[in-house]
Amino acid sequence: MTLALAGHGVARGIAIGRCHLVIRNELEIGEHRIVASEVEDEIRRYQDAVEAARKQLRELAGRMDRGAAAPAQEILQTHIMMLDDSTLQRNTEEHIRKELCNAEWALQTQLEAVLSEFRNLDDEYIRTRGEDIGQVVRLVQGKLAAEDSDRHLEGIPDRLADTLVIASDLTPSELSALFERGVGGIVTEHGGPHSHAAIMASSLGVPAVLGVRRARSLLREGETLILDGGKGLVYASPDNTIRKHYQEVQAETRRFREALEKIRDLPASSLDGRRVVLMANAERSTEIDQAIQSGADGIGLYRTEFLFMDGGPPDESEQLAHYRSAVEAMDGRPLTIRTLDLGADKLPEVLDFSEPVRNANPALGLRAIRLCLRDSAQFKIQLRAILRASGHGPVRCLVPMITNLEEITKVRSLLDEARAELTHEGLAFDHDLPLGAMIEVPAAALALGELGRHLDFISVGTNDLLQYALAADRVDEQVAHLYELQHPGVLRLMQHIFREAGRMKLPASVCGEAAGDRRYTRLLLALGLRDFSMSPGKLLEVKQVIRNTDIGRATAALTRWLSDPTDHQTPLLEALDASQT
Amino acid sequence: MKSAPTTIINKLGLHARAATRLVNRATAFKSDINLVRGQRSVNAKSIMGVLTLAASMGTELVILADGPDEEEAVAALLKLINDRFGEEQ
Repeated sequence: MTLALAGHGVARGIAIGRCHLVIRNELEIGEHRIVASEVEDEIRRYQDAVEAARKQLRELAGRMDRGAAAPAQEILQTHIMMLDDSTLQRNTEEHIRKELCNAEWALQTQLEAVLSEFRNLDDEYIRTRGEDIGQVVRLVQGKLAAEDSDRHLEGIPDRLADTLVIASDLTPSELSALFERGVGGIVTEHGGPHSHAAIMASSLGVPAVLGVRRARSLLREGETLILDGGKGLVYASPDNTIRKHYQEVQAETRRFREALEKIRDLPASSLDGRRVVLMANAERSTEIDQAIQSGADGIGLYRTEFLFMDGGPPDESEQLAHYRSAVEAMDGRPLTIRTLDLGADKLPEVLDFSEPVRNANPALGLRAIRLCLRDSAQFKIQLRAILRASGHGPVRCLVPMITNLEEITKVRSLLDEARAELTHEGLAFDHDLPLGAMIEVPAAALALGELGRHLDFISVGTNDLLQYALAADRVDEQVAHLYELQHPGVLRLMQHIFREAGRMKLPASVCGEAAGDRRYTRLLLALGLRDFSMSPGKLLEVKQVIRNTDIGRATAALTRWLSDPTDHQTPLLEALDASQT
Repeated sequence: MKSAPTTIINKLGLHARAATRLVNRATAFKSDINLVRGQRSVNAKSIMGVLTLAASMGTELVILADGPDEEEAVAALLKLINDRFGEEQ
């Protein structure tokens, strides 16, 4: 008989494998007295344990970063911050001093105090963060007990590919350890959709069902389990029908992935023989590596905000070091560096405002190129660094949020100044560094005929262009339904951009989220786009759609649809798909 | 002592990531910094304190800073909050 258990499906995917139960030895925290002369030693013992825990979390976070699992890494950073929390540390030390008790007990007492505060909160998400603090405290208590923190993971083989791990709950650090051993799937008795284990599993792509009550007493070691991470179901002793169904689903997923693998080295050409350029958006070096592995033609958007976010603005050599390593990694393929794209409020160190900027409408305020031109000395440092990077390989310079010709002229004259300085200093750079603009402002899109003459290429930032064209913020739930690429006005605006660019022989790409969304690939091709830039993980999916599209037919279908958008029974995307058969 | 009222305007409120960024920013200053919500005041350099404020979108807070760099501290935190902690727009 099949036994089906339900929980929260928090990370999609099907896993079929052998059940492994993790029986955690809960640390027994006891209280014992110390004498006054032992207090300083006890505090030092506590501090050493905190240090050891911090070291472990840092190492894990460091490895995560390389795995390109940014949310997982951020969770570990939050845990490190909880560990370093001055209130918790000070109160624990004070407790040891005043109550003359052992560090484990002092920490436990402080934990209870913190948790009682969290339990009283109405906000379920924040209440769940109490669990994180409990996990961090247990990690320190484990260090105090000189316990190897992964002790209860002992006995689990190094390779876990066909193993499903069933535990009471899992801390982010335990989850990352399991991930590194290639665990097939995860079931826990506690934890919900807001837990960090949930976010972490989803970010790492490990199928997971959380909050399955009494899972460890209902499931047997070694038996075959099927885990459906999308539906939140775990089947034990599955009967043949269920087993067959999931094997088929798994096989289908595998076939899809294999089909993508097969086109990795094939060109992105449409059925009617048109070649499409596929580039990647990147920020971290891991994304650049991923872009190269996925066969990207170049980097269409290299973001530089991260250099400015922590601490003061980076100097020229620091910027150059980052840009140069990216250019060199791309090994001859173009790197499109976007100049700083931030709002004024994010950069207190760069611009010295006497009063804090309180901007009712930051999306329409001082940001991106508008901000950079306010402090041209600072901006020139970035332009110099970009120019110098171009001495090491093909680089393009992309300026965000261009509104009018005056801005382009100012950037050009700053670039000229920078070129003159570098020549004078005898430093190498590309004299023909292409200058491009991000087209996000609808008026700039409509004036492309004039602006384009002063540009070498353009990149359409669909996220902002849509927000400005539709006057709707897509993160505002009340109006998000208005945010729609398929609005006839937006389609005509995009069509205009690619027609004008085509007429002027101006290379034009799209680097917004739409470029990496396979549902929109045919529509973008029909609108005239031949140059996509997207998150590197999406490249193969989009390439697959391109290779299965007759662009001529799709374009004809779009024209028909646009001739009277209100007079259609079929939605646009379906009409485009229908045009292919 | 420097103070400034503000409102949390990002959609997710002071959730873990935003709180982590706020504490990170606050820790860079020498001044004592507190966040006040109604009768409750918490240390802005303590992640647990900031989380227990449970400040969702629309929550009104007062930033209080006291120390050698109090002006800069208040300005920096205001900017971070007004910029929605860098959440994707």
